[in-house]
Amino acid sequence: MKWNPVYRRELTVNSRSVRLAAILLVFDSILAVAALFNMYSVVGQVKVTAEIQYSRFLELYTFVSSIEFIMLMFIMPALTASSVSGEREKQTLELMLTTTMKPREIILGKLFSALTMMLLLAVSALPIQSLVFVYGGITITDMAMLFVCHGIVAAFTGGIGMFYSSLFKRSTIATVCAYATIVLLAAGTYAVNVFAYRMDMNELNSYLNALNASVRQPSSGGFIYLLLLNPAITFLAVITRQAGSGNVRLAFEQWFGAQPDNAVTANWIPVSLLLQLLAAVVLIAAAVHTITPVHQGKKGSKKTGVKRLREYIRNERRRAC
Amino acid sequence: MLEIRNLQKRYGNFQALDGLDLTIPEGETFGFVGPNGAGKTTTLKITAGLLSPDSGSVMIDGVDALQDNRGLKGKIGYVPDFFGVYDNLKVSEYMEFFASCYGFEGREARMRCYALLEQVKLEDRADFFVDGLSRGMKQRLCLARALLHDPKLLILDEPASGMDPRTRMEFSAMLKDLRDQGKTLFVSSHILSELSGLCTSIGIIEQGHMVLEGSMEQIIEQVNSSNPLLIQVFSNMEKALAILKSHPCVQTITVKRDEIKVGFLGDRQDEAALLQQLVDADVMVSGFMREKGSLESLFMQVTAREDEKAVIRHEMESGL
Repeated sequence: MKWNPVYRRELTVNSRSVRLAAILLVFDSILAVAALFNMYSVVGQVKVTAEIQYSRFLELYTFVSSIEFIMLMFIMPALTASSVSGEREKQTLELMLTTTMKPREIILGKLFSALTMMLLLAVSALPIQSLVFVYGGITITDMAMLFVCHGIVAAFTGGIGMFYSSLFKRSTIATVCAYATIVLLAAGTYAVNVFAYRMDMNELNSYLNALNASVRQPSSGGFIYLLLLNPAITFLAVITRQAGSGNVRLAFEQWFGAQPDNAVTANWIPVSLLLQLLAAVVLIAAAVHTITPVHQGKKGSKKTGVKRLREYIRNERRRAC
Repeated sequence: MLEIRNLQKRYGNFQALDGLDLTIPEGETFGFVGPNGAGKTTTLKITAGLLSPDSGSVMIDGVDALQDNRGLKGKIGYVPDFFGVYDNLKVSEYMEFFASCYGFEGREARMRCYALLEQVKLEDRADFFVDGLSRGMKQRLCLARALLHDPKLLILDEPASGMDPRTRMEFSAMLKDLRDQGKTLFVSSHILSELSGLCTSIGIIEQGHMVLEGSMEQIIEQVNSSNPLLIQVFSNMEKALAILKSHPCVQTITVKRDEIKVGFLGDRQDEAALLQQLVDADVMVSGFMREKGSLESLFMQVTAREDEKAVIRHEMESGL
């Protein structure tokens, strides 16, 4: 099997870097401390009340998964947003683009090396996460589902980072834009829904007061579909199903009011994961297009009528001079 | 090997290339000269497939570079004016990485890399980290990298800039070896003395278009023919001056002891006829030759700004 050259080189360089070891140390230390604290408090409660609350172990699962998710949301953009722009800054991108390697291979090599780092983090957290198996409540299928969710969210946030990295020459600007987009997706779409829900509630309250009757439940309306692109909501839906109330729809109704009854809301998790995967593919394709220096079959850049007219006037002036 | 026709490239309001035409036959070493901002790097980048022109065509060994970008990359090796190196990567790993970018893997890649490191005299540095190499070594490594897929055309952008004279000479010798192996070299440089020793043909670019192009011999002859004749007279100076004053090709005469410097507008046949005339008139001539010109003086003449050219024209017309 032929390895992607960029992926192989990234693995070599990353394995020699202190950064990877430092990230692993910090990440696993946080999880280990949290797990130990959780078990200590459970045992402490047993000593006092002689009863074990099994829900506390599920809390541990939720906590570890949430930390993993947050790390994923924050580390992936940092890793990918400096990937292509970093190559530009080191002046190595041009060297790679003069080889017979395709721009697609460069982007995919970079993305997969970042995903591998995330995989390494997830695998290193498995022993701590597996503590829940001692007491039960979470199945292997649940873990696999969470893994898929994390993988797709990593591809999506990584795609955002790759896109900005290919667009901007400076890694700093690319990183800022990637984080801004992720904050906009996570907090922005949530804020829009909460705002729409509150507005609808106020409107209904005044209407109901006037009529003194019940008409319908308040909701955020069509804005709810924006949340399909919110990785945090997708993760919350997965965790709610596995370790929460188990009813995603009910949880959403608590947060954003009445939900429309259709195929999208009924299959929220698969639909949102599919959409995010699709968005990741589009972003990666855009990144490939951006770094391609000469597009096949393109002979000269396209000029609009205005550009042509300006060039004609400029040439005429030059001739007159 | 390389044929560029009517290449145009504009950056905003700045016309970088304005109808550039260029032809480099196979096996030639073409020196590409021009002042800063003349469009050299833009031309090289378009040729290397790193930049898209606004219009024009680039043909490399029968491949349309703008239509078949992948086909083009198999035929060219590019050495830019900077060193693209990675931290935490050894010389051998750097070479093997680029070998795999060209599709070479395993033993074949290692053999190829070692042979090239030997060619650029870096075989003993294979286990050194790339970012620890000296500037000259990095440039040699860049050359080895560009040769990994045995390209027919090697594009070098200011290859010797920032090198000390010894390293520059060594690098130049490596390029001469490549020239002798039959590679076509397209070299841009500011160091004209270096180009004159390396190149078989030369082109001067100014404001995005070629102002002078030809073989090295033609260019040197052109440089020399615009220089004054130096005649050393052993005896009969008066007679020699009388002949020169009456000669239609003579423009200016300057006498310094036994040497006469003559502004002479004529070809080699006219020169021979003048010498014959002097000898027939019993003028004893001990030296008769054109003053040697340099590529630098030609470059300065060709790329002189319009106002400078106007002053030179005025001086010539007024006989100053």
